[in-house]
Amino acid sequence: MSVLSQLNRPELYLICGGIILFIAIVCVVFIVRAWRMGKRLGMDVTKMKRAVTASATFSVLPSVGILLGVLALSGSLGTPWPWLRLSVIGALHYETQVADAAAEQIGIKLSADQMTVQAFSTIALLMSVCIMWGMILAAIFNPRYTKKLQGKGNGSGKPGFGDRAMVAMFIGMVSAYIGSYIGGFVSGGGRFTFAGSWLPLAVAVVSAAVMALLSWLSEKKNMKWLDNFSIAVSMLCGMAAAVLIG
Amino acid sequence: MNREQMYEDYLKGTHRLGRLVSVLTLIMLVGAPFLIGGILGAMPDMGAAARGFLAAGLVWTASSVVEYLVYTPMLGAGGSYLAFITGNLINMKIPCAMNARELAGVKTGTAENEVISTLSIAVSSLVTIAVLALGVVLMIPLQPVLQSPVLQPAFDCVVPALFGAMAYRYYRRDVRLALIPLAVMTVLFVLVPSLTASTSMMIIPSGAIAIGLSYLAWRRGQKEA
Repeated sequence: MSVLSQLNRPELYLICGGIILFIAIVCVVFIVRAWRMGKRLGMDVTKMKRAVTASATFSVLPSVGILLGVLALSGSLGTPWPWLRLSVIGALHYETQVADAAAEQIGIKLSADQMTVQAFSTIALLMSVCIMWGMILAAIFNPRYTKKLQGKGNGSGKPGFGDRAMVAMFIGMVSAYIGSYIGGFVSGGGRFTFAGSWLPLAVAVVSAAVMALLSWLSEKKNMKWLDNFSIAVSMLCGMAAAVLIG
Repeated sequence: MNREQMYEDYLKGTHRLGRLVSVLTLIMLVGAPFLIGGILGAMPDMGAAARGFLAAGLVWTASSVVEYLVYTPMLGAGGSYLAFITGNLINMKIPCAMNARELAGVKTGTAENEVISTLSIAVSSLVTIAVLALGVVLMIPLQPVLQSPVLQPAFDCVVPALFGAMAYRYYRRDVRLALIPLAVMTVLFVLVPSLTASTSMMIIPSGAIAIGLSYLAWRRGQKEA
């Protein structure tokens, strides 16, 4: 039996599927608790429904991208393990990098040809260990940390610095990525040669333009319902542009 | 029972549940490679795992600490437990929760934000779980379509597509604030092109510049008021 056939054995699907099912049940429990709490707090049910719809539609496209990650990793690690990792805890860039680094330490390349069962179990362990810290920190510090944060803004309704800081953090995050696309284009093929890939920048511009159009329709043409789909549709248009340009 | 007491009880329950679920998930995720190794007859090589951890793990450990400190305020208690268990924070959970918060018009640190954020992240996680489960079931017939070279550029560009849309949404909130971090980041990436391989780490200085400038503007506003 080839290594890949072993890594796709039904027992592995059962183990990974069982863990995913456990997390899915946890998510349902959190939804039910939050929904009930929202109603008890007197929150507008329409707003809560809107948040749920927007989150669901928002998540479909990135999830398809994540599914592609499962496809990409299944060639060397089988299907069940990447399915578990990307459903539950990881992100494609992380999983790929750690799997590659682990394979390097074992002295192989991350490919089906060189994979062994022991290499797989070692890579799988390292993938689990390297990214568990967020969970551990949350389990240890969340009660104190969130209480501290909550005390700063709870219920006062005054515009404190917290909200501005979050907007600023997001502006900083977006700037790092947009800056990297510009830098990649200008110096990606050699400093100031303008020979790098301009595809990410073009995709970001198309996506931003569609977002601008949808925001205008929502705000000026009273099409508020578009807000639920604005990010997903903008992303889809940006990605479609990538197909046309690329 | 008054509103504050009710919310406090809810938060206590969230922390109990969140901690329990985090510990159980951790045991399952670290235990699974050993269980699989046992079934397949080859346990992990602990020496190679330790060397791999030193090579790759330390960077992700530092990044996890920063992520925890930065993202928890955005996510709230329930949202952060779920987000750190379900992953895909930067490319999905954070923008998803911010989007939901924006639509619901709730403020950071409030009970309403806690509810919306938890709903948003839990729903987002369920959608990913459902899409991936469906995809894995359909993997064989889907594979040629999804891996077709024609569609590849689209899926390679999910992140630029996301950040383009988010740029419009957030830059218009404060264009003047956006100019400096964008200019600094652009200059850095132009002068040091190799930095594009660690864009996610550059969020830290970029975010620090934006938060610092925002704080100065806020302080100035407070003094004038």
